[in-house]
Amino acid sequence: MVIFGATGDLTHRKLIPALYNIAVSGDLPPQFKVVGFARRDKPDEVFRRELLEANAKHSRQQHNDELWGSFAQSIHYHRSEFEDTEGYMALGKLLDEFDKERGTTANRLFYLASAPEYFDQIMKQLRAAGLNKGVGDRWARVVCEKPFGKDLKTARHLNEVVSQTFHEKDTYRIDHYLGKETAQNIMVLRFANSLFEPNWNSRYIDHVQITCAENLGMEGGRGGYYDTAGALRDMVQNHLFQLLTLVAMEPPTDLSADSVRDEKVKVIRALRPLIGSEAVGQSVVRAQYTAGSVDGVSRVGYRQEDRVNPESKTECYVALRLFVDTWRWQGVPFYIRVGKQLPKKATEISVHFKKPPQVPFATSKMIPDSENTLIIRIQPDEGISLRILCKQPGQALFVQPVKMDFHYSNSFGKASPEAYERLLLDAMAGDATLFARRDEVEHAWKFIDEIEKAWHESPTPPAMCEYPAGSWGPKEADELLRQDGHEWRRL
Amino acid sequence: MPATLDIDLSILGQEVPLGRVDRELKKLWDSDEAKTRSSLMNFAIYSENAADLERNNKLLEEITSEVACRAMLILCQPDGAEPKARAWINALCRPYQGKQIVCSEQLSFYLEGGNAAQVQNIVFAHLDSDLPLAVWWQGDLTSNFEERFYSEIDRLFIDSAQWHNPTAEFEMLENAYSSDTSNFEVHDLSWTRSHFLRAALAGCFQDAVALKKLPLVEQIEITHAPGQRVAALLLAAWIAVRLGYDMDDTAKEIRFTKPNGGTVNLALHEGVPGCSLQQLVLTGPELRAEVRRDPASVFVRVCASCGDHENTEMLPADAESEAELITSQLSRAHGTSLYIEMVPMLREMLAKV
Repeated sequence: MVIFGATGDLTHRKLIPALYNIAVSGDLPPQFKVVGFARRDKPDEVFRRELLEANAKHSRQQHNDELWGSFAQSIHYHRSEFEDTEGYMALGKLLDEFDKERGTTANRLFYLASAPEYFDQIMKQLRAAGLNKGVGDRWARVVCEKPFGKDLKTARHLNEVVSQTFHEKDTYRIDHYLGKETAQNIMVLRFANSLFEPNWNSRYIDHVQITCAENLGMEGGRGGYYDTAGALRDMVQNHLFQLLTLVAMEPPTDLSADSVRDEKVKVIRALRPLIGSEAVGQSVVRAQYTAGSVDGVSRVGYRQEDRVNPESKTECYVALRLFVDTWRWQGVPFYIRVGKQLPKKATEISVHFKKPPQVPFATSKMIPDSENTLIIRIQPDEGISLRILCKQPGQALFVQPVKMDFHYSNSFGKASPEAYERLLLDAMAGDATLFARRDEVEHAWKFIDEIEKAWHESPTPPAMCEYPAGSWGPKEADELLRQDGHEWRRL
Repeated sequence: MPATLDIDLSILGQEVPLGRVDRELKKLWDSDEAKTRSSLMNFAIYSENAADLERNNKLLEEITSEVACRAMLILCQPDGAEPKARAWINALCRPYQGKQIVCSEQLSFYLEGGNAAQVQNIVFAHLDSDLPLAVWWQGDLTSNFEERFYSEIDRLFIDSAQWHNPTAEFEMLENAYSSDTSNFEVHDLSWTRSHFLRAALAGCFQDAVALKKLPLVEQIEITHAPGQRVAALLLAAWIAVRLGYDMDDTAKEIRFTKPNGGTVNLALHEGVPGCSLQQLVLTGPELRAEVRRDPASVFVRVCASCGDHENTEMLPADAESEAELITSQLSRAHGTSLYIEMVPMLREMLAKV
């Protein structure tokens, strides 16, 4: 496995700890090698030492020096500029040497963890060096990290570049949300339980909410990238649309990657387009945070953050009301919100069922104004809750909401693997089910582009709202739901 | 730490960093194999008086022994200079089938320099999601009682008897209740305390002879404990609203006009320390309905006389302790809109006393 951008944050925080955990679990292929490809000059030992520190800090399973010592022997460093043809030739030689050492040819997985502007160069150079083809009957695959483009045009361009180098079946566009246990469990919950699927439609479901709340801002210099992207591009186009598709998709005919992805694409294609400033203004709220406090710690406003343009027009909060124009979902709003500097970190989907007629209780005021709600917690504390109404113990008929809770952490008695562990193994095993397909990405961008256009190109763009850091977002986002008779779920 | 917090904070449990409350709670439960966490709602006590911290901590223990909830203790001191916040977690366990195994969890927050935004951002970020939030706001409704606070609440407990300026406080309450973003029910302990009197008075008029005389009432007299005048006025407002009276704007004192003509005078008497409401008497031609509770008694004497016809009985009175009042309300689930319907009349009455 060759990691481009090996000195970056993703490699240290996610990729190496994931590989270490796979190794500890005994699932790493024998004689596995990791090559870190980056521009800075450093010997293998220095690179390994840096990764050791990161692994001790970020590994899901406790870091063990002995196990690390064994795993670290498989880690190597290769210095090269991304555009340097010689560097790729040398990389090819290094991989050939490994093959010779092992007395066999190896499969090759190229992981693009670098900034997206280098994707073009890396693809071109891999092709030029002949590294895009497997040796003999071995495969060569590429994993692309997000962001996969910044709009439809750039995504199409990237897809073209990638497709000139790797076949679509060997291209894995990663979205780590899909590697989370609960996200994977959505299909199981829906299609393996006869309780839910018959009710999973506009007849019984009132609306759906997807919330991705972060209690951090632009720490660690993240403002530089974020200010060029914004919440819509950074989170909605990929992570939240992936969750939306899992909730709204039709049952696939089988669990093959393409059957599942066919159904997911249909959902994106069925999203009612939001075209023009007025339509966007009615269904989308964008906002920036102002100074406030989170967890009792003072936070500056978005425009005062490090590496953020003081006159920035980039949204760090967005709320959308979407409709999936299919038979199943006609008239059911899907509300999505994502934001920085909110009071807590949580990603959750809540499915709000319609209220029953309650004829037997019609004369009683003892029924609370609440509906059955199914909550799918993606992170943290992955699990599922179902809110139902129950009679309170006692002589009188008082009804109260109660929760039935399932927690991954304690129900199975062992920790779930990290998303990257699952996705790396899938990429090695050739299972693309949990990766985005080209048409999926392009359709998502097509939808998002119209909103961006209304925000940045319209002569009368919808307003940029504000919310204090530490609050649950702007009042306008509350109003978006209130006009439909709904309110955001209290997390 | 300010001088006002001169108490042993270890009574609140284990202090945890604010950003780790949820993780530490999880650890607390994971480390204990034999206990069951139970929760039906979020129940918070909000106070701006540090001297009440220990008492409130005990109250929460009593309340959670009856009602399973995520209990929260919020001590907010808005006058502090620099905003600072601290948090504690604790498990409150009670016996079930002879063992201490059913537990509620308690989160305590001390918000120095805390404002409504801090309460919303810090405290309400740690609610047990998807369960109702009941808040007992102790003392006057201060500037922290604003939209960011009350818009989160499902059930608001207050005690109007503790208010220093009831006219202004009731106005705040009414404005909050009618706000577009609020959706809470009000439970006023001062009103709840009159439950036994209301039930007993209704009992007086179950008698058909007495009921027929009810429109003849001309005088309402209420005797209340010192400092419980608002409770007496609430009771009078209830009678007026239920009987369709209007305020007589021409009178300087509190006087009602009846729907069928005629007026009803209200007289308030301050009694002795003890139970908040001690006597209620309705009088008119050939009518005297009296409900009396001796200050130290747990019984209520109910007497209705209409001419020669007289009916007397003794009924048990409700408990008056704060914990009992709260748990009885929490166990009853949902309230009625009657209380809030009385508030406009109550405010008119307050303007005259």
